[in-house]
Amino acid sequence: MKDDLALQWYVPLEVTTLRVLLPIALTVQMMATCLDIVRDDQISMYLSILGVASLTLLIVSLPDGTSNTRRDLSLLSSGLVLLIAMLHFAASYRSFVDIWTFSWLIVPAFLSLLWLSNPRVSEWTDLAMTPKMAAEGLVRNGVLRPRWLAVGTHVLLLHAVMLSVFPILWVIDTAISPGNALGGKFLDAVTVEHFAYILRGESFWLWLRNSAIVAIGTTILGLLLAIPAGYAFSRWKFRGRESGMFAFLLVQMFPGVIILVPYFLVMKSLGLLNTWYGLILAYSVTALPLCVWMLKGFFDTVPRELEEAALLDGCSQTQIFAKIVLPLSVPAIAVTALFSFLAAWNEFLLALTFNTSNEMTTLPVGLASMISATGQSWGDFAAASLLVSLPVVALFIIFQRFLIEGLSAGGVKG
Amino acid sequence: MMSKSFLLLILMIPQLAMISAAKGDLEFAVDGSESGYRKLQIEIYLEVVNEERDLEIWIGMPNANNTTTWELHSIIFARIANTTASTQPDPGTWYDDGWISVEGGIWEPIRRNQNGSALAEIVGAQSAAIRMELTGMPSGKEVRVGVLDHGANASRTFTDKIAELELNSINAISSAVDDAPPPPNTSPVLFAIGSIGLSLIALLATFRWLDAKDGRTSSRSAHLYIAPALLALTILTFYPVIYGMWLGFTDADRTHLGDESFVGLANYIEVFTASGFLRVTTFTLIWTVVNVAFHVGLGLVLALILNQPNIRGRVAYRTALLLPWAVPSYISVLIWKGMLQPDGILNDILGTNIDFLSNPSGARTVVIMVNIWLGVPFMMMSLSGALQSIPTDMHEAARVDGIGSWSRFRHLTLPHLKSAIVPLSLLGFIWTFNMFNVIYLLTDGGPNLWFGEPGSTDILITYVYDVAFREGAYGIAAAWSVVIFMMLLSFSWIYMRKTSAMEAVS
Repeated sequence: MKDDLALQWYVPLEVTTLRVLLPIALTVQMMATCLDIVRDDQISMYLSILGVASLTLLIVSLPDGTSNTRRDLSLLSSGLVLLIAMLHFAASYRSFVDIWTFSWLIVPAFLSLLWLSNPRVSEWTDLAMTPKMAAEGLVRNGVLRPRWLAVGTHVLLLHAVMLSVFPILWVIDTAISPGNALGGKFLDAVTVEHFAYILRGESFWLWLRNSAIVAIGTTILGLLLAIPAGYAFSRWKFRGRESGMFAFLLVQMFPGVIILVPYFLVMKSLGLLNTWYGLILAYSVTALPLCVWMLKGFFDTVPRELEEAALLDGCSQTQIFAKIVLPLSVPAIAVTALFSFLAAWNEFLLALTFNTSNEMTTLPVGLASMISATGQSWGDFAAASLLVSLPVVALFIIFQRFLIEGLSAGGVKG
Repeated sequence: MMSKSFLLLILMIPQLAMISAAKGDLEFAVDGSESGYRKLQIEIYLEVVNEERDLEIWIGMPNANNTTTWELHSIIFARIANTTASTQPDPGTWYDDGWISVEGGIWEPIRRNQNGSALAEIVGAQSAAIRMELTGMPSGKEVRVGVLDHGANASRTFTDKIAELELNSINAISSAVDDAPPPPNTSPVLFAIGSIGLSLIALLATFRWLDAKDGRTSSRSAHLYIAPALLALTILTFYPVIYGMWLGFTDADRTHLGDESFVGLANYIEVFTASGFLRVTTFTLIWTVVNVAFHVGLGLVLALILNQPNIRGRVAYRTALLLPWAVPSYISVLIWKGMLQPDGILNDILGTNIDFLSNPSGARTVVIMVNIWLGVPFMMMSLSGALQSIPTDMHEAARVDGIGSWSRFRHLTLPHLKSAIVPLSLLGFIWTFNMFNVIYLLTDGGPNLWFGEPGSTDILITYVYDVAFREGAYGIAAAWSVVIFMMLLSFSWIYMRKTSAMEAVS
């Protein structure tokens, strides 16, 4: 019967969309059922099982363009889904997640009711289409598809954004809510007591001082070691160049774990536990390979002609390095510096292991101790972590591209 | 000549009695005379125990500003219910041995819950005494010990607690002190570092001399330029690695350091026969593989979506999705810990009342999910960088030829991305394998169903941390490290082989 190509190929975009949308809704509904089982809520459990059943019926009965009864059946089951969704919501509304599961039930059901009763779909299911109408329908599909795809993309992205941003919203809310206990409604009261407590207390400033000294020390020492080495590897051919570069590459492959225990013992033997210097040394060496490789890569791109001209003019190697190469490489050095700074600022394990005295605690270990030792003062912790992470987050967002490139090039973060 | 300092004080706590007269009152005594090395013994007497209560034991250490820094040492859950879900470890197998005596009866070892916290069973007791050995006291230093009845006033703030502790505490000192702290024998380490440094300098000098002889004058200062970095690398990375390998064959521990002796393969035998070796290794593998699969999978999906042309608000989406990576990971993990508490927000929005972290399989699922959350943004950004480097004209040509989007992805995008995915997932594998922060901060390896063994969510690196820094068994920990390193090396090798083989086939 469907001898025409357009007729053969045409499926209304409404139906295709529902074929994607409804299984997702079904998955969400199954999750809601599991949640109801966990909640041990009999009525709402039965209702959500009914919801799953009617949704399955709807999916099974979606029109395929062969018979009219399928459309009627699916219209009927959409109505059923709508009804059950409302009952379920009324019976068991408890929390935010119920709104979400409710909307994942009611929106697809409503759309299928709307779309399946639309004349175009009816004509398709009634097999009353002429080839011309089918051709028009195909054109319409082509126009609508990108738009609907964009809507779907935004829905998906919004879900992802909610998952990724939610903990950050929570920490902001906790930081400005009174009291250190958990619970309470979102944004029901606003206070700055936690910020005041943190900023007035001594320990935060102590941790900040230690972290700042360690991170700045790491940056300076790391650069002092890495810049000359990167330059030498980039510019000169000399004996031991290849094996030296290989040594820097090899270190990347040692996971931190094999070094942790002997590192601790070496630091202990040298009396560098509970000092800034121990951490500075450890961090700058950890970041060193990556910094050397990053800087070498940059120096490779600086044209040699300048240096050769300077050499002809009688400059010494040191003068060339200090007066020509360094000023040219300020951007690359800044990124490398930022990288070592952030690595040192955020490091937890070595700081936890090396610096056990209260006087020498760095911010990461100090913030963690607010949760473990002192009876979990969540409000104070949230305020402190906002203070600590805001500048870091800003730096990350501004320099994301460089940091990603640096990290994938080496892999110091582990 | 050490005079035995002996202190036994009994203090009534009027405040607590006042707050909770109906709950009866609470007395406690602290004794440092006989309990042993760095230990204090505390006895807590509960009268009229008709309600469940949580007793917090706090230790106050004098700090630099002549005030006291208070830290929670342990919590005893006095429970009326039959604590059948708990275990009773033998004395010495867990931290802080405890005993309980009900109505003056015999002293019985205290039970423990899954996290290892003490559970005092006070079924039908009129009075009970709890005795506990507090370990980890500073040697030869006076500390203050206080007990808070948490059940009496659960909503006290930290400041209130400190105020109460300042009022009602007992000063005590553990009698067995370090006999003249053994100075760590630094000479072997210093000697090793010195000789390594000198030989490296000698090597570089020789190279330089050879270069000069060959007439390479332009690179005169090269060896000088790389010397500091190479020295630092050798002394602080290569030397510790070799030192660690050596430690694996010795009996080094907290008391034998610098004078450790060679014990052959004993540590390795201990590692491979450790009960829980297989379990912790299996969980580490599951943890790593599941995490990396989700990181790459979700990262790829998000990168593909974000790289579609004509998406409105791309920058805003990208920035929002990047946040989990930008926030320092230790902070994110602690945030999740807060949200996962029984009275936390996750239970609030789910409308449930689940203690996510107390049940072994629940805790395993949760730690993996939190780490997935942490790791997706990095993969997303890296893969979207790789996506942008794919030439668009080929896609355009394929599209014009009427090739469907799935086929375009499968045959154009994916082969192009492979050169990025393979090293990225290897990198992700190594990072996740060694992801200490998430486990340590979220569960600390717990819930602990097996005493003296890795906990349910311990991965290899957190367990090694426990062995090294909680048990102080450096030699065994070093052996573990070497075993882990070998595992990591072999997995990476297998992975490289597989992927390059696939490359050869396709």
